[in-house]
Amino acid sequence: MSKTYEYVPEPALVKGNHDFSSITALVTDINMRPTPKGWYIAFAISNMLLLVLLVSIAYLIWEGTGIWGLNQPVGWGWAIINFVWWVGIGHAGTLISAILFLFRQGWRTAINRFAEAMTIFAVMCAGIFPAIHVGRIWVVYWMFPLPNQMAMWPNFNSPLLWDVFAVSTYMTVSFLFWYVGLVPDLATVRDRIKSKVGKVLYGIGALGWRGSNRHWWNYEKSYMILAGLATPLVLSVHTIVSFDFAVSLIPGWHTTIFPPYFVAGAVFSGFAMVLTLMIICRKIYNLEDIMTVDHIEKMNLIILVTGSMVGFAYLMEFFIAWYGQVEYEKAIFIIRATGPYAWAYWIMIACNVISPQLFWSKKIRRNVTLTFIVSIVVNIGMWFERFVITVSSLSTDFLPSSWGYYSPTIWDVLTYVGTFGLFFTFFLLFLRFLPMIAVAELKGVMPQADPHNYDENGEYVEPKVEVPEPKKLNS
Amino acid sequence: MASNSPKLTDSVQLPSNLDATKTFYGIGAAGLIASGVGLFLNSEQFFFSYLTSFTFFTSIALASMILLMVHHITKSSWGTVLRRIPESFISKFWIWALFFIPIILGMSTLYTWTDPAYVAEDPIMLGKVPYLNEPFFIIRQLIYFGIWGYLGYKLHKVSVEMDKTNDWGLVVLLRKLSAPGILLFSLTLAFASFDWLMSLDAHWFSTMFPVYLFAMSFQAIFPIMILITFWLHNKGMLKNTITQSHIFDMGAWFFGFTVFYAYIAFSQFLLQYYANIPEETLWFYFRLEGSWAYITYTLLIGRFVIPFVLLLGRDRKHNKTLLKYTSILIIVLHFLEIHWIVMPVLHDVNFAFSWLDITTLVGLGGIFMGLFFSTFKKNNIVPTSHPTLADSLTKQYHQ
Repeated sequence: MSKTYEYVPEPALVKGNHDFSSITALVTDINMRPTPKGWYIAFAISNMLLLVLLVSIAYLIWEGTGIWGLNQPVGWGWAIINFVWWVGIGHAGTLISAILFLFRQGWRTAINRFAEAMTIFAVMCAGIFPAIHVGRIWVVYWMFPLPNQMAMWPNFNSPLLWDVFAVSTYMTVSFLFWYVGLVPDLATVRDRIKSKVGKVLYGIGALGWRGSNRHWWNYEKSYMILAGLATPLVLSVHTIVSFDFAVSLIPGWHTTIFPPYFVAGAVFSGFAMVLTLMIICRKIYNLEDIMTVDHIEKMNLIILVTGSMVGFAYLMEFFIAWYGQVEYEKAIFIIRATGPYAWAYWIMIACNVISPQLFWSKKIRRNVTLTFIVSIVVNIGMWFERFVITVSSLSTDFLPSSWGYYSPTIWDVLTYVGTFGLFFTFFLLFLRFLPMIAVAELKGVMPQADPHNYDENGEYVEPKVEVPEPKKLNS
Repeated sequence: MASNSPKLTDSVQLPSNLDATKTFYGIGAAGLIASGVGLFLNSEQFFFSYLTSFTFFTSIALASMILLMVHHITKSSWGTVLRRIPESFISKFWIWALFFIPIILGMSTLYTWTDPAYVAEDPIMLGKVPYLNEPFFIIRQLIYFGIWGYLGYKLHKVSVEMDKTNDWGLVVLLRKLSAPGILLFSLTLAFASFDWLMSLDAHWFSTMFPVYLFAMSFQAIFPIMILITFWLHNKGMLKNTITQSHIFDMGAWFFGFTVFYAYIAFSQFLLQYYANIPEETLWFYFRLEGSWAYITYTLLIGRFVIPFVLLLGRDRKHNKTLLKYTSILIIVLHFLEIHWIVMPVLHDVNFAFSWLDITTLVGLGGIFMGLFFSTFKKNNIVPTSHPTLADSLTKQYHQ
């Protein structure tokens, strides 16, 4: 051990010389300033894309699912891929807001509001696909176990039904969690805003919050309970999504590692999406003091870890497909890597397994431009992962005589592109009207909130442990 | 100096009257000799019992290792005062590795895939020969134990060195060890789980199996740390250092990984049960028939339902009496679960508990705990110089 290392203390979570009031101003002024021009442009583009979504859905309902590229044997295509992809993206929000909260990770406060908003909008985009893919959309309510005179019930044995419950529960809890966190900040905006209408509207949202001790007490309790509820939910949602595939007998789908592997993949893609959006927003709204490079580095580490978990799952699948010596399992994995969809497979490997490995280097982890590129690459990779799983397994199933090739139609593409319109429409509204950073929580992790460790002159001193006497060790 | 600097008021050295090294070595030797007798009386039972007990203790060491590495790379402070406990479990892992030798000697008894006659007439087994063959099996074990032995030795050594040199820069070294360590650890643990346990039933396969073994072991490490903490407190040690807040943290981890364990174990079961393919369901068939079924239900209730209900409330996560009994329950059931994985291969109809299960458990347990104490007594039982020590000492439990 000739090499020596230098200990670097943890950097402060908020950069710049901020106090509480300048943080409040930095975040909530965004909601009170006149709307910037750029926002209108972005909103217009999002609205156009949203229109594309609406037209695609309208045409789908008019004409039927025949307008999509589905065929025999590929009966599941872009709709399920997009559903899984969007739900997966939502997972990062809950991970940041709930799981990192339970693990007392102070750095989450800079991004949790933002990520939770993304969760809700992503789940909305995801929810569209199962609803519209049913063909006869006027009986879509059959998915719910409503009492009816036909005595007709959904199939409770089917994970597709579990999905309906899982996703709707997840959506509800995520929304409540987000809203509870928003209450103190809505009160802050209510107190600061000049406009009369704004005061009333934010006041309604703030539920009469006055910041009393009792309010905080209730707030913290309910926040903790919702975090506790959201944590198992984030696992259960993607677990059940993975069950959609894994309970079947299709080679390449039926494998036991699917639940944790899907959850890791979801967190992976979700973090990438948060990074993509956050890197843009911190620049535009000058929030670099709050969303610092240290935050980006920490998120990149999570991308590295979850990306490697996904890689680990690929390896296990591959190994066990061979080790199990089941003919069809072996075949599908060879076909994936060399068959008609090999291009998709290698895009997936390159994007999901190889690209995050760049983050072993501290320099790259802290490089904002490269992070931005990798975050987009990862999201492309995760889309292709779902494509590979869904399409390659179906297109080359047990009987070579029924093999087929699947390609999407223009309507598949337009529906997918349209969901970005929905997502960004809501996201832009969020950025415009709600405080995008949890101001109250952020203040709680600033050094001012913990007034300890000051010497007689009021200077901050690193806490140092007093050990009675330096022990000589009997080695 | 700031007025509220935390003080380490407890003695950080294990008094010699608490040093149980020799006692444990003695117990270990007695247990191993008794087991040795069993080797001649019933060699088949001996090897299966030995594998069960060996896996039980190894899983605890491995869970300690991953816990430490995660603690290092996340720069956590909650467990800094507890850290010497897992460190002492792994520092002499390279010696512990020698106790794998009997399993290599008993390979032909334990693993059907070592029988050429059996393999030759089974096309599936023939296909597995490139992986499941004796020389490659032994090479793999050398790799696993080499990696684990090195990581265990190094993680402990660097940590102890920090006490002596007060060089906080070593935390960087610990992180640099841990990051690739976690990667290597996951891969080796995965293949070790296939080798030791999954290949006992050479036809069966499950991609979840490594995660399952990890989840089991990780649930069991917290009860063990909790019990060692209570023992230390009972002897008047570290009473002001490991406080209610640390006990609460361990309780919370314990609870969290109880749920995680159940999630993984249930998912593995459900997916194979639901798909209902014979080559997969056979493994569960053996464990759901005859009296093995009672063990299955015991595990379900004892390892998930009971601790889940008992530890759900916030205040209960630091209730000492409750934690003590729940911890004992989980440790016993962790052993029983490994027994339940291994033994149906030998006793495929009914649950059978042999005296050799006890003697190998006592024998290997004695050695394992002896190795633990031999390390634990030599160094400060709390890291005395660490950047996160101050945070860890001042941790408060908030109602």
